[in-house]
Amino acid sequence: MVDFLIGLFLASLIVSLFTTRLYRLLLWYSMNSLTLGILALSIGKSLDDRAMFITGVMTILLKAVGIPFVLKNLSVKFNFVRQITPEIKVQYSIMLIPAILVFTFYLSEPIVHMIHTNANYVAISISSLFLSLLLMMEHKNVAPKIIGFLSMENSLFLLGITATNGMPMLVELGIFFDLLMAIVVINLLFHKEELKV
Amino acid sequence: MMLTLLLTPAVIMFFVSFLKNERSKYLLAFTSFVILLPIVKLFLLPKPYAILDTYLVADRLDTYILLVSSIVGIGVTLALLTLDKHVKVSPKAYKKFYRFFAIFWVGLIFSILSNHMGIYWIGLELATLSTVYMIKTNYTSAAHKEAWNYMIVGAIGVSLVLFGIILIYASAKPILGEEAMNFDLLLAHANEIPSPFLFEIGFAITTIGMFVKMGFFPMNLWLANIERASFYPVAALFSGILESAVIVGFFRFSQIAMKINYNHLFIFVFAYTILTIFIVSFLIFRAKDFIRLFSLSGIEHMALIVIFWVSGAPFAALLHFGAHAFLKPALFLSAGVLESNGKYKIAGALKGYTDIKGTIFKFLISLFLLAIISIPPSPMFFSELYGFAAMINTAKSSDNILAMIGAILFLLILLSIIFYRFSAIYQSMQYEGEQHNKKVYISELFSLVIFTISLMILLLPSTLAYLKSIV
Amino acid sequence: MIIYIFGIVLLILIAPLLLSFIKATKMVLLYKRPISIFQGYRNFNKLLNKENIISRESSAITKYAPFLVLSPLIIVMFFLPPLVHGSYYVSFVDAFTITGLVSLSTFFLMLLGLDSASAFGGMGSSREAFISALVEPAMVLTIFSVSLMAGNLGVGQAGVNLAEHFPQEHMASFLFSGISFFILLMAENGRIPVDNPETHLELTMVHEAMILDLTGLYLALIEMASSIKFVIFASLFASLFIPFGYGFGVLTAFLFFIIKLFIIAFVVALLEVHTAKLRLFKIPNLLGIAIVFAFLSLITFYVLGA
Repeated sequence: MVDFLIGLFLASLIVSLFTTRLYRLLLWYSMNSLTLGILALSIGKSLDDRAMFITGVMTILLKAVGIPFVLKNLSVKFNFVRQITPEIKVQYSIMLIPAILVFTFYLSEPIVHMIHTNANYVAISISSLFLSLLLMMEHKNVAPKIIGFLSMENSLFLLGITATNGMPMLVELGIFFDLLMAIVVINLLFHKEELKV
Repeated sequence: MMLTLLLTPAVIMFFVSFLKNERSKYLLAFTSFVILLPIVKLFLLPKPYAILDTYLVADRLDTYILLVSSIVGIGVTLALLTLDKHVKVSPKAYKKFYRFFAIFWVGLIFSILSNHMGIYWIGLELATLSTVYMIKTNYTSAAHKEAWNYMIVGAIGVSLVLFGIILIYASAKPILGEEAMNFDLLLAHANEIPSPFLFEIGFAITTIGMFVKMGFFPMNLWLANIERASFYPVAALFSGILESAVIVGFFRFSQIAMKINYNHLFIFVFAYTILTIFIVSFLIFRAKDFIRLFSLSGIEHMALIVIFWVSGAPFAALLHFGAHAFLKPALFLSAGVLESNGKYKIAGALKGYTDIKGTIFKFLISLFLLAIISIPPSPMFFSELYGFAAMINTAKSSDNILAMIGAILFLLILLSIIFYRFSAIYQSMQYEGEQHNKKVYISELFSLVIFTISLMILLLPSTLAYLKSIV
Repeated sequence: MIIYIFGIVLLILIAPLLLSFIKATKMVLLYKRPISIFQGYRNFNKLLNKENIISRESSAITKYAPFLVLSPLIIVMFFLPPLVHGSYYVSFVDAFTITGLVSLSTFFLMLLGLDSASAFGGMGSSREAFISALVEPAMVLTIFSVSLMAGNLGVGQAGVNLAEHFPQEHMASFLFSGISFFILLMAENGRIPVDNPETHLELTMVHEAMILDLTGLYLALIEMASSIKFVIFASLFASLFIPFGYGFGVLTAFLFFIIKLFIIAFVVALLEVHTAKLRLFKIPNLLGIAIVFAFLSLITFYVLGA
């Protein structure tokens, strides 16, 4: 089951690399966060870890529903460009993405022999980190870059959930707090103020 | 208790910044001077002093860095008083600056004093995000664009740091449990970490995140562009304080990494920094304005600090760090005054200061410019001397002494390129260009004097002895 | 052996039903009055009663090609994984053979399009060649990686293995190849993001362009071939990627398999309603996603074993 969710996580990230519409990208981001939340819930259930439950619920509420909603509102308010064509041509990304995946999988191969719980998820989260960097790189508009940053946050969470069986609660709450702060700052950044002296 | 004391000025500043009153500007400035007091108190307390359980622990290293940062903060806020005389700034932007400075300060205290990787990261992220908005206090489209730039690249850097932290945590969790986030425990149990490979991948990713944030090799110009677009006190904050929060993390992580595999750490960091300095020296050679020039030279000095630290000369690194933290903001502030809203260029920048204040100002700037390129009385000269000596000492024990000497010679050539450029710029400031009538204000002069005095204090024998005792 | 033959006959018989079902579902979803789901049989009957007219320009290929389009697909039907437990199956046929036979059928279809000597036929053939050239590598990779997960290169044996012990530990790579195969299913059968089977608009048509000149028996054969092709893909998807319900009793298992086919048809209809047809030169992007996923599933399986 966990394998399946991880697969969905990576799949939604890869599909979002090929997306050319903003709202569809938001949808994929939301799917990505949703699988992450369900993953946290299912791992939390198998470990009987209450903190993981809180993380999972917060991920679903905040990232799968809240942030896409806020971003959609912002896009209406500030007239984002909704047609986002990747700068990297599809034929190159078809070659680039498998290259990244092979590289990261082989990079993290020694880890698989070292830690025994959920070892290959480290590989998947490193590769999703690189893929979200690619997502940030291949767009010129701001909105997809924000999504790339947020999916980077997601891959961090995936690593936190799977590789370490959950980080200390304090740190996870801190990360959520910083994420909220980031959203506030993003919101503020969209307001373009003129010089009034 | 101590924590409340440390955070109170920032909290007061945050709330006062919402007041509509005209007078609140002075209250804000005054509050920002108060940040020094609790830090001095902390500095005098016996070390290590647990501020908040095992989460925030003050030891010699971080109180030193915090003290340096708070002095820089005071100098910057002093110069801020007369910002509107040199650039166009709206009164609202002032308050916003203080509001985000308060958040920044809270993040900074948490990240510098933390003994916990998670809290270190949270503080760093908070400081990063709050500086994003400080850039935007300059209401130009360039600043707007660069604020976005900073938001995105800074977020990438900080996220990479967290990624590495999680990997490090995962590597140490089997032996330490939830305590694996604590720096001191990690340091104590470094040799027992069951999967050093995982730790090293984590360390490499963290380091690259920090290097990205400090403007190392692939991202050399982004910091320069940002500092160009923002107001000069913000640029001073960037180079003086924010980078110290990043580098304290590097110090702590690399201490652990040194225990695990010193050779890997050394080769990785050494190659990275030499590459950085190689590129930066040529970028400096082509720099055409003050802020970019100083920002690039900041990258160079950060690289030197990193290289000194990993080659086993923490004393040199800390001395260099202190000197750079005082010199660079001073240079940024004086560059802001010299340019005065972009009216003046490098050529002839020093001409036209006639009254007594102007003469002192001219003298101080010449001093700073000579100090930043390590002319002997400058602390940088001593730190570089110690640092290169330590590098050779490290190489002596292994069999690659020739390679190390070659690398140092290469570094010296690169440094001499920078030296040449700076002296050329000084001459052009002094002898070329036209004469204008320029003014300098007492608060700016005062902040520069503070920096000068702090630099002199760094050179006192007792300070040097203290720095040697830190690590 | 009887179950084996019965299964194949059953699949061939319900093939037109599935396509009509998709059409009817789409009409319901678009708030239209749906056609009968037996429309496929009626069309077939009507076409059989029609006179055969062949264009004067066309050569003998037009006479032979429809049979040659249909026959490789019928052969593939024999190589499919078994529908129910205890049935006979061909175990040794691998991904290359199946892909090869399907492309043999496509080859004759393209010849047919060229042979009609009309402008549309040539255009349709070139487009079909373009699409199937992109489909084939992805398809080989996908079926190959599933066969690896099942532990046997033979597709029939792979289906049996998957049904008997489902590879729980390879769930991630299984999912990736499932996504890839579903995209191929849509592309190879000319469903909406790639080709619209309902229009005769010259800018968009691919499949229809090639068979524009045909009537009567020949058209009936081609229509049958295309519905059988859908059944082949759907049943491959059903037995490789939804390998449940294999162990039930014979009748229940057949019923269950047919329900799975109808579910796949329903999903296809749903997707067709919700997506717009891609521009022809955007199709490589979609198939690129399929190739990426197929490759991903292979390397995830090999390197991570997940």
